Amino acid sequence: MSAQKIASQGWRAAVPASKRKEAKIGTRKIENMLLLGITLIAAAVWIFPLYWAFVTSIRDESHVVSSEAGLLPDMLNLSAYGDALFNSNLLTWYINSIGTSVIITVLVLMSGMMCAYALSQMRFPGRRALYAVVLASFMIPSQALVVTQFVLMNDMGLVNSWAGIILPQLIVPVVIIVYKQFFDAVPKEMREAVLLDGGGEYTLLFKIYLPLNWGITSALAIITFIMAWNQFFWPFLVITSENMMTIPVGITQVRDTFGVNYARVMAVALLGAAPVAIAYLIFQKKVTEAVMISSGVKG
Amino acid sequence: MTGVTLTCVDKVFGSTKIIDNVSMDIAKGEFAVFVGPSGCGKSTLLRMIAGLEETSAGAIEIEGRDVTQAEPAQREVAMVFQSYALYPHLSVFENMAFSLRLARAPKQQVTRQVKEAARILKIEEQLDKKPSKLSGGQRQRVAIGRAIVRQPKVFLFDEPLSNLDAELRVQMRLELSLLHKKLGSTMIYVTHDQVEAMTLADKIFVLRGGVVQQSGTPLELYDDPANQFVAGFIGSPAMNFLSATVSAVTPAGVLATIEGSGGQTLEARLDSATLEAGQAVTLGIRPEHLHIRESGFNTSVEMTENLGGVAYLHSRLTDGQKIVIERRGERQSYQGESISVGADAKHVLVFALDGRRLH
Repeated sequence: MSAQKIASQGWRAAVPASKRKEAKIGTRKIENMLLLGITLIAAAVWIFPLYWAFVTSIRDESHVVSSEAGLLPDMLNLSAYGDALFNSNLLTWYINSIGTSVIITVLVLMSGMMCAYALSQMRFPGRRALYAVVLASFMIPSQALVVTQFVLMNDMGLVNSWAGIILPQLIVPVVIIVYKQFFDAVPKEMREAVLLDGGGEYTLLFKIYLPLNWGITSALAIITFIMAWNQFFWPFLVITSENMMTIPVGITQVRDTFGVNYARVMAVALLGAAPVAIAYLIFQKKVTEAVMISSGVKG
Repeated sequence: MTGVTLTCVDKVFGSTKIIDNVSMDIAKGEFAVFVGPSGCGKSTLLRMIAGLEETSAGAIEIEGRDVTQAEPAQREVAMVFQSYALYPHLSVFENMAFSLRLARAPKQQVTRQVKEAARILKIEEQLDKKPSKLSGGQRQRVAIGRAIVRQPKVFLFDEPLSNLDAELRVQMRLELSLLHKKLGSTMIYVTHDQVEAMTLADKIFVLRGGVVQQSGTPLELYDDPANQFVAGFIGSPAMNFLSATVSAVTPAGVLATIEGSGGQTLEARLDSATLEAGQAVTLGIRPEHLHIRESGFNTSVEMTENLGGVAYLHSRLTDGQKIVIERRGERQSYQGESISVGADAKHVLVFALDGRRLH
């Protein structure tokens, strides 16, 4: 037995078990307090822009740019919200955002699910190569494709259309990868039982595999919807008509229309973010799960 | 009438022949069991009958119809899997009704057939539950119920009791036997457990390396094995095999000197096989046919397993050959003692060194 071990045991023998337990609990408490403090600071840093946007949006524009404006809310002026709702195309942008985001979500999930099913469950020549292509496409940054996609959309006459916004956003290999991973995990006997029961691939996918993975589907749906809703760069490039804009792109027009009016810009930004924020609050658990699944933390 | 007929069936994976020229006839209403060690091809053969594996060569007929190229659902077979393969998101009722719903059967028919199957299997109370709420035995019943509902021509069971504990396995074995009597359907059952094979089967097919070694009723296989492999596989504890040399040829058979016994001989009956003195053979004697007697050969008892009604004496000859002796109602241990054992000539089987049975 080493001297260190004997010394350690000597210390243990000298201090009663109850005291040792108390010391352990005390250390844990300090650790928890430290962790809580760091979390609170991180939360404050994260929430400050939102808070500042809200405070700015309920101020007079003249007050916003004056040097007297402090950190605390000092007035309640909702005119910026009124302007945003009634003197801009915000409602049209809402419709565009909802429409494109819903269509993108449905199409991404449907195509991803069917592609993953084929790659996971069906045997055909080139299956592995095809999956390698899917994995490879996962590694290409979307920005690298922007120019060619824009030329393609322009050639197809889809600039300034929903189709122009939607089509390039349908390439989401992570959805295929996640679905394939879950389809691979379904026991082979389940597939065979369905085949013996008289079912085909359609039955297998929509009546067995999909219901078995509802949790994954809903998590992927939420995260895909949020990503589509928040998409700025591509819609900004492909849409020039104000009536076809989505909310993130529309915000840039608010600035142009009213000049540099910070209160209104912030009001539109908050209204634009509200649906996703509310959705996030409702489906918080699912969103966290989706992020973990798509980042590979949870299998 | 024929239930299932296989004619010269092969299954090849790459360059490996998993099933080699298998032919068999299973009568309608018969309970057939495929038995053999792991990797012998028994499950593959069952899956070929189900249509879940393609048949490389040969033909499979079910009640006279060639189904070799037919899809699984068109073969009118139902399969019960080892893992149950129940659909976890559906209730027991929906699990059992699944095939009928796919076939767009009228609602009343679905309800009637599911309830009838549930009644037979005594799971009427469980119909609204999800499979996750059921015990292993209940899940297995649901899996069987799902098969019954389809009213198939042939039931296929792929080691259905392997996931159950020992007590439940015995109970389910009995229930399966009763179910077969009740339904009168053709059933094919795969197992590596020879006790299941012996207790359930009307006819056993013993497989090894993708080849049927022997088929017949359980007692035919037990009493009259075709080769050393079948003799060793059927029966628990397994048959004792002793290396021996033919010392004399008698009108009724042979006298063989057992190696490691100090020159002691055993007599075996042979009908037609011709052996010569000095030829090496293997003698096979079941543990229950070995008796303690003065005119036998000596063995030392290493360990005794006494189960109350029966005791097994695990012994060795001087050259290390192991033998097991079964003793009914034995109360003496014999552990560490040297005993003399022998067997009646009619119970001593003779095998050639390549494993063939010599009659």
